[in-house]
Amino acid sequence: MPHFYTRFISVETIVQELHGLDLSEEERIHLAALIDSSIHHAILDEVLSNLQDEDKKLFLKLLAEDEKHEKILDFLNAKVDHIEDKIKKVAGDLTAKMHQDIRKAKEKR
Amino acid sequence: MLFQSKKPHFQHLKKKWTAQHRSLQNKLWDAHGQSLNWLAKNMPSRHLAAGALGGLLLLSAPAGFALAQPIATSSENITAGFDKNILLAEQLKKMVPSEMRNLSPQEESDISKTLSENFDLIVKPEIDGLKLNRTYGLIGGEQHLYRYPGDNLYKHADTTSDWAMYGDAGIAPGLGAWGYFTPSEAQFSEKDKMREKYYIAVQTFLAPGFAENVAKYRDFFKFRKMLLLNPQTGQAVVGVIGDSGPAEWTGKHLGGSPEVMQDLGLAGGPRKGAVLYFFIDDPKDIVPLGPIKVKGGN
Repeated sequence: MPHFYTRFISVETIVQELHGLDLSEEERIHLAALIDSSIHHAILDEVLSNLQDEDKKLFLKLLAEDEKHEKILDFLNAKVDHIEDKIKKVAGDLTAKMHQDIRKAKEKR
Repeated sequence: MLFQSKKPHFQHLKKKWTAQHRSLQNKLWDAHGQSLNWLAKNMPSRHLAAGALGGLLLLSAPAGFALAQPIATSSENITAGFDKNILLAEQLKKMVPSEMRNLSPQEESDISKTLSENFDLIVKPEIDGLKLNRTYGLIGGEQHLYRYPGDNLYKHADTTSDWAMYGDAGIAPGLGAWGYFTPSEAQFSEKDKMREKYYIAVQTFLAPGFAENVAKYRDFFKFRKMLLLNPQTGQAVVGVIGDSGPAEWTGKHLGGSPEVMQDLGLAGGPRKGAVLYFFIDDPKDIVPLGPIKVKGGN
């Protein structure tokens, strides 16, 4: 399912690294779920940390109601300066750590 | 986790990323648990389950955070999760032949009427006198298609889970019948992305009259919107014609992208099965691509 941040984060390099590992379908799905959920948690934490209490509620309500996420980015851009850059940084930092983890995992094969 | 694996590289990543995930969960809930609980108390459960929160967040609330569960207060809540597509499959069992053969004009007319009513769409076996060679056939799984010059398999994944589910299908070495979906990555739009995601390949070359009017038929079929339905389960998806094929000798009548096969419930095992496929008359391009539910269903 696409998220409000899908457009400006990329999992291409992580996927490329994982593709080179010997993983069964179940293993792939398990690791992918951990990655996606971790990115999601980190981004939500970043967004919520930049909002006032009442705006947190409005954001979460939009997130639950607006399945196409058409209004969420407009809302966030109006409330937080450079929110897209903040989200990109959080996701980038997390995936950089994951790249290191994959490189170490490859040494264990 | 319902499977066992002793591969050291998998174990390493699983251990590392499970711990990291738990830490991120705790951080989020420690800082914003009050707001998240407010949401759970104030939103209907169907919103929480269907949206981004359900899959990735609320269902994985860490121990110690008891989420307040909303109670059913309307008939909508009581019938939540009821899938009307299954009822449609039952209805179609009386209309779709048990053997794999083409439908008669009467059968096509009856079935397209039933599909139109159930999905609230204009579903037709032909538009402006143009039709495919059949409307009921055997679909097989296809690979991803290159969408623009420089595209690769990894770029097709919006999320890592997309790759885990659909990456195995690979990417076709050649282009689709109409070439790239867009001339360059810079021009690549959400619409192009959805077209590749939900593309089907049909035997355009076997359409009655094709040989006499190649250009006219080619233009008519290009990205033409179609409704596909698995009559066994009622699972349905709106796709576009994005390629021509498969060859007659394969015994299959059409092909579906990895996502189309998943949404039709045919992604496992032999990756093929019987489907109904009809044009959707949508001149204003309103009908969205992707899985579709019978109107009033969940």
